[in-house]
Amino acid sequence: MIFVRPPGPVSPALTRRAPCWAAPLLVAVLGGCSSEARQLGPTAPQTRPISNADPRIPAYQANVYQVAQGGRYFGWYGCGGCHAEGATGVLNLGDTQWKHGDGFADLFTAIADRHGRLAYDRRVPVEVLWQLTAFVRDLPAHKAEKRMRTARDQKAEPQGATWSGPQ
Amino acid sequence: MIADLERVPQLDATWRDAPGLWGFLTTVDHKRIAARYVVTALLLMFLAGMLALDMRWQLSTAENTRMGPQLYNESFSLHGSTMLFLVSVPLMEAMALWLVPLMLGTRNMAFPRLGAFSFWLYLGGVLTLWLAHAADVTPDLGWFEYPPLSGPAYSPGHRADIWAQMITFTEVAALAASVNVAATILKMRPPGMTLARMPVFLWAMLIASIMTILSMPAIMLVTSMLIADRLVSTHFFSPAGGGDALLFQHLFWFFGHPEVYIIFIPATGFVSAIVETFSRRPLFGHNAIVLSIMAIGALAFGLWVHHMFAVGLPRLGNDFYTAASMAIALPAGMQIFCWIATIWSGRPRLDTPMLWVVGFLATFVIGGLSGIMTASAALDLQLTDTYFVVAHFHYVLVGGAMFPLFGAFCYWYPKATGRLLSERLGRIAFWLIVGGFNLGFAPMHLLGLLGMPRRVYTYPAGLGWETLNQVATAGSAIAVAGGLVFVGNALWSYWRGRVSGPDPWGGSTLEWASASPTPAWNLPYTPRVDSLTPMWRDGPLRVMEGLALDRREVLVTSVADAAPLYRQKSAPPSIAPLLAALATTAMFIGSIFTPWAIVAGALPIGAALTAWFWPTRPRAGAAEAKA
Repeated sequence: MIFVRPPGPVSPALTRRAPCWAAPLLVAVLGGCSSEARQLGPTAPQTRPISNADPRIPAYQANVYQVAQGGRYFGWYGCGGCHAEGATGVLNLGDTQWKHGDGFADLFTAIADRHGRLAYDRRVPVEVLWQLTAFVRDLPAHKAEKRMRTARDQKAEPQGATWSGPQ
Repeated sequence: MIADLERVPQLDATWRDAPGLWGFLTTVDHKRIAARYVVTALLLMFLAGMLALDMRWQLSTAENTRMGPQLYNESFSLHGSTMLFLVSVPLMEAMALWLVPLMLGTRNMAFPRLGAFSFWLYLGGVLTLWLAHAADVTPDLGWFEYPPLSGPAYSPGHRADIWAQMITFTEVAALAASVNVAATILKMRPPGMTLARMPVFLWAMLIASIMTILSMPAIMLVTSMLIADRLVSTHFFSPAGGGDALLFQHLFWFFGHPEVYIIFIPATGFVSAIVETFSRRPLFGHNAIVLSIMAIGALAFGLWVHHMFAVGLPRLGNDFYTAASMAIALPAGMQIFCWIATIWSGRPRLDTPMLWVVGFLATFVIGGLSGIMTASAALDLQLTDTYFVVAHFHYVLVGGAMFPLFGAFCYWYPKATGRLLSERLGRIAFWLIVGGFNLGFAPMHLLGLLGMPRRVYTYPAGLGWETLNQVATAGSAIAVAGGLVFVGNALWSYWRGRVSGPDPWGGSTLEWASASPTPAWNLPYTPRVDSLTPMWRDGPLRVMEGLALDRREVLVTSVADAAPLYRQKSAPPSIAPLLAALATTAMFIGSIFTPWAIVAGALPIGAALTAWFWPTRPRAGAAEAKA
């Protein structure tokens, strides 16, 4: 997979801080760099992915921070209510058997448009949908004990039905 | 001390390193190793200073756009982690590695190869943090990374792992150095240097080393638990899983508070040495100072909770730790009065090392007083996480440890290089650094009282913080300029400085008996000591013979009375410490990514250690059997 930098300004730490002797090393590890990049503040996508090959995808799918944010929203929006650990059949998201295809845009559409009256396309901001999609596509790579450990750390956050944040 | 003519070439042949790169990689000469430590740490201090200047630039005006929040988080995390783990503690250890054998008049440390191992591992920690930074995987959670923020749920990726593993590196290095220093001071003192005749510098280094040995395991344990939580999903810090998030804070500060005294206590050793020499009289209250250092060392382990007043602990706990924190003002104050009394009753000379001591006394007392304020749990609840705390710990750490260190650098520079620093440039650097520092950090007390929180990347206009922040930025720029003059002075004097001779200051302790720069074998003879100030006795220094010249041999003496016990073989140069450090590095880095690295990495480490400890002489029993 080719890693593409997140859209928007290039991470300042790279351009300003890296001493010049680090340049060869930088080239060597550049592939790994953007996977840790962390964008605080407004970021790119204001629109849906145009296809499974949308050039904006790697900035989400290959970035640990975006995937982790998707995991938090997964809890906040109550996705775990149906897609809980141990859910079976079509509800199990960790088995890579996604009914409507495993491409990024396929899954995005499945989340946004295929939840009936939950109407996530209207209730969830576009960027959060990007993050949720990246998280769901990443789920098969998370071991069960890691998912449990993470869920326990986030237990105190409002989840789905117990949501207490802004409506 | 003048040696026989044929003695010097013999010692040279026995103690020299192989030429070129091989010698560089295999050396066990404590002076070469310490010099590497010092140069690496000073380079990092420069980088951390640049980070500080960059942050001050960002904060100089309201709503500045020089940095975004993420870059600011990375900057202060890198600045703090570098200064605490990679600069302050290692620099103090480096000074011990350099000076302890010289002050004891012995030829090398007790475990020469352990010293080399310590440096290579420290370098591994430096590269872990800074190469990761070059690759934009910079820790961004401050210099203490509390879970759950640093746990698997909120810190995906490897930024927190890099921080935690950098600590493992530096703590193993610190333990290796401390064990070495403590063993050397306890078992290799020259005949006559009983515990009662041990200079304060050696006491300070001994106590700091013992504190390191007792406190560092806590931080290695806690960062390893954090890595386990992140890597193999253990539940040490997960309350919902039966763990405890506060456990991290307790273990971290059980190390973290002693650590600031591990930084400060060696500084008291520097100050004692400089005050004695430049007041031209034996230190006033030697026993009181030594007992104060011991008291600080003991109390340091009983007040870590004052870093946690705001987390909601029982009232009685807060009261107890308030009292314990304030108690430390007593021994610290006693030391300061002893130094002042020495200067008062002596014939002080204000060369640059002594200037730094004066700067230390003034600055450290201010930091100590703000420390008494933050020690009070009630007041701390108002001051915590504000710039008042930033001002306080920079006053105690920079004023209390860095200024004495700069003084020590000026004081022992001629011993290390054979040349004197320029006094003129030294004075300019002193006034710029001390003036700039005070201008930079004094306003932060007010900013804190005005409510400016620490670790914010910007602030809105109209809160009344702009002017004070601009003053602070100007002050730090002046201090950095002074730092550049200081470094420029060191570089210029290295080639152009006045030749110093062995004892330019008329020092009181044994390191001034050696040539400058000191040859690989240190002193030609083993000195015999009969006072606290052996270089100030009437008549020449008394020495003893008896150590081999044709092989590396050192004298081991008894712990309390320094009575000669036996001659000990001193380990020759070896590549094994470097190989062991490389194997350890591979295991530490690998264990960020997979737990199996610990199993797989143990094999090369075992092989390297086996090579390291491979016996080079037949066992006694075997020789007897042959005979």
